[in-house]
Amino acid sequence: MADQMTSLERVATAMQFKEADRVPAAPLVCGASHRFSGLTYADWSRGTDIDAMVKGHVDALDMIGHDGVVLLIDLSVEAHAFGCEINFPEMGTAHPNYDKPFIGSHKEYTKVKRIDPRKTLRTKSVIELAAGLSKEIGKTHAIVGFVYGSIGVLSMLRGPEAFFMDLMEHPNEVMAAVEVVDEVLMDYTKAQLEAGVHAICYDHLYGSQSILSKPLWEKFEGQSVKKIADYVHKAGALFGFHNCGNGIYFDMSMKYGKPHFISHAYVADDVDSWEENKKKWGKSTTTIGWIPPGPVAMLGTPEEIEEECKAEIEIYAKGGGFILATGCEYGPNAPLRNAKRIVEAAKKYGVYK
Amino acid sequence: MVTKEKEQELIKRLQDAVINYRVDDARKTAEEAIKAGADAYTMTMSGLAGGMEVVSQKFDSHEYFVPETLLCAKALYAALDLLKPHIKARDEGARGQVVLGVMQGDVHDLGKNLIKAIFESAGWTVHDLGRDVPLQKFVDEQLKTDSDIVMLSAMMTTSMVGIKKLIPMIKEKNPKVKIMIGGAPITEKTVEEYGADVTADNAPNALREAMRMLEALRKGRAA
Repeated sequence: MADQMTSLERVATAMQFKEADRVPAAPLVCGASHRFSGLTYADWSRGTDIDAMVKGHVDALDMIGHDGVVLLIDLSVEAHAFGCEINFPEMGTAHPNYDKPFIGSHKEYTKVKRIDPRKTLRTKSVIELAAGLSKEIGKTHAIVGFVYGSIGVLSMLRGPEAFFMDLMEHPNEVMAAVEVVDEVLMDYTKAQLEAGVHAICYDHLYGSQSILSKPLWEKFEGQSVKKIADYVHKAGALFGFHNCGNGIYFDMSMKYGKPHFISHAYVADDVDSWEENKKKWGKSTTTIGWIPPGPVAMLGTPEEIEEECKAEIEIYAKGGGFILATGCEYGPNAPLRNAKRIVEAAKKYGVYK
Repeated sequence: MVTKEKEQELIKRLQDAVINYRVDDARKTAEEAIKAGADAYTMTMSGLAGGMEVVSQKFDSHEYFVPETLLCAKALYAALDLLKPHIKARDEGARGQVVLGVMQGDVHDLGKNLIKAIFESAGWTVHDLGRDVPLQKFVDEQLKTDSDIVMLSAMMTTSMVGIKKLIPMIKEKNPKVKIMIGGAPITEKTVEEYGADVTADNAPNALREAMRMLEALRKGRAA
C-alpha cells in the first residue's frame, strides 16, 4: 500500500502514541550516508563540505526511503571543539588520539574552557548541516539534532579508562569540568534548534548497566540532562535519548529528561523482555530500535532482516510509540541494500489497519 | 618462612585490598609479604586472584560496574608488580597464554584492559598488543609465543570486519589455536559467520570460556 503520510507526519504521529499510516522506519543511516555524498568517510567526518553532506543525506533518503535524519557524525565532534586532537582514519570512525589526551591528569580538568560551538570546527559543521537539511527536507522529514552528553565528552577528552577512575577518585575536578561542558552543550543545542531541527537526541551512553552504577550516573549527568531537556521541551521541540548500552536506566531517563523517545539496542534495566519494555514504558516514551546493527543489519540475510523487523513490529507497533530502527548507528560500511530492506519491512508488516 | 596464620592473614588482606580497591593497602601488604618471606605465588593466586574472583562476581551481579572494577584492577596491579619478581618458576597446572588486542582501526580498549587484569590475576600469561593493532601483528605474536588463544576485540562494525580476514590468517599458520572475539557488535552469529570459536559478553565470562577451551586443548594434546 502506498504511504498516506509524509515521513514527518508519520514520525510525529508515532511519537504521540497514535497509529500512523504505518510504522516509521529510521535505520540510523548516519555515517553510511557518506556513500551518497561523493566524499570519503574521512572527509565526511571532517565536516568541511556541507553541501556534499546535505546531498548525501537527501540522496540517502531518496534511495533508502527512511523517515528521518539524525545529525550524528561521530562521538568525537564535541570533544574536537574543546581542543581534543582527533584522528580521521580513511575507512574508520574518527576518534580522539588517546596517545595524547587533552586532559592528561586529574589536575588538567581546568583546561576545559567554554568555547562557542557556532564558531568551532565540527560543531559548526553540524549546525550548518542542520540548516542545510532543514531547507531541503524540513517540511517532509524528521531532522534530529545530536548532542553527546557531558560525561561522554569528558571521557573523550581524558580517555575513558582514566575518566571512569577519576569519577570516583577525583569527583570535584570532574564535576567542575562537567559544568563548563554543560554550558557549551546548551549553546550547541540552542544552535541546532535555531537551525531547524525538530528534535534533539542526547546520547547518555554511560547511563546503563554496561558502564556506570545508577547513583554514579545520576550524580554526574542527571542535572546535565535536565538542563538541556528542560530547554528543549520549553522550546516546543522533541527531546530524546540514544543509548546502546545494556540495561538502560529508563527511570533516570524519565526523571531527568522526560524524553519523547529513546533510541536503544537493549531493554531497560528493570524489565527482562521487549514485551515487558512495551508494557512498562511503551506509553511513556517512544522506542526507536532495536535491530542489531552487526549481526542483522550488516551480516543478516534478506530473510533474517525481514524476520527480525517483523518480530519487532509485532511486539511493539500496536498503538504507536514505535519507530523501527537499528539499535545503534547503521554500520558506515554495512550494505546499504539492507537499510532499504528495513524500510521495506516496515511497509510490508507495519501498515496500521 | 611465615606461619600458616600469618600467611592466611596476608591473603585475606590482599583480597580485601583488591575487593575494596585500596591501592595503598595492596602495595603495603605485598611489601610486608615479601619481607616476611611469604610465597609470592600463593599471595598472588590466593590473595589477588581470590579477591578478583569476588570482584568478578560483584560485576556479574551489577554490584560493581566499570569504574569500581577498574579501581580493583589498579589495586591488583599495585601488588602484582611487587610480587611478580619473587614468583619462582613452577609447573603446577600453569594456566594458558593468550594474545590479546583491539582490532585495527579501533581504539576502544576498556574491555580489553579489564580482560587483561582478570586473566593476569588468574595466572594466565597475557601478551597484550594494545589497540588499533595491524592484523599481521596478531599472527606474528601467536607464532612467537605459541599462545593457546587469540582474543580479538572490536567495538565498531568498521573494525569488526577485520576479524573475518584475520581468523584464516591465524588458523592457516596454526589450525589448533582457539579464537575468542568480543565487543559491542559481536554476537553468536558473528562467531559463526567469521569462523571464530567463541564470544563472551564480559571479562569474567571470557575467563570461563578460556578455561573451558584450554582444558579441551590440553585433553586434545594428551590424547
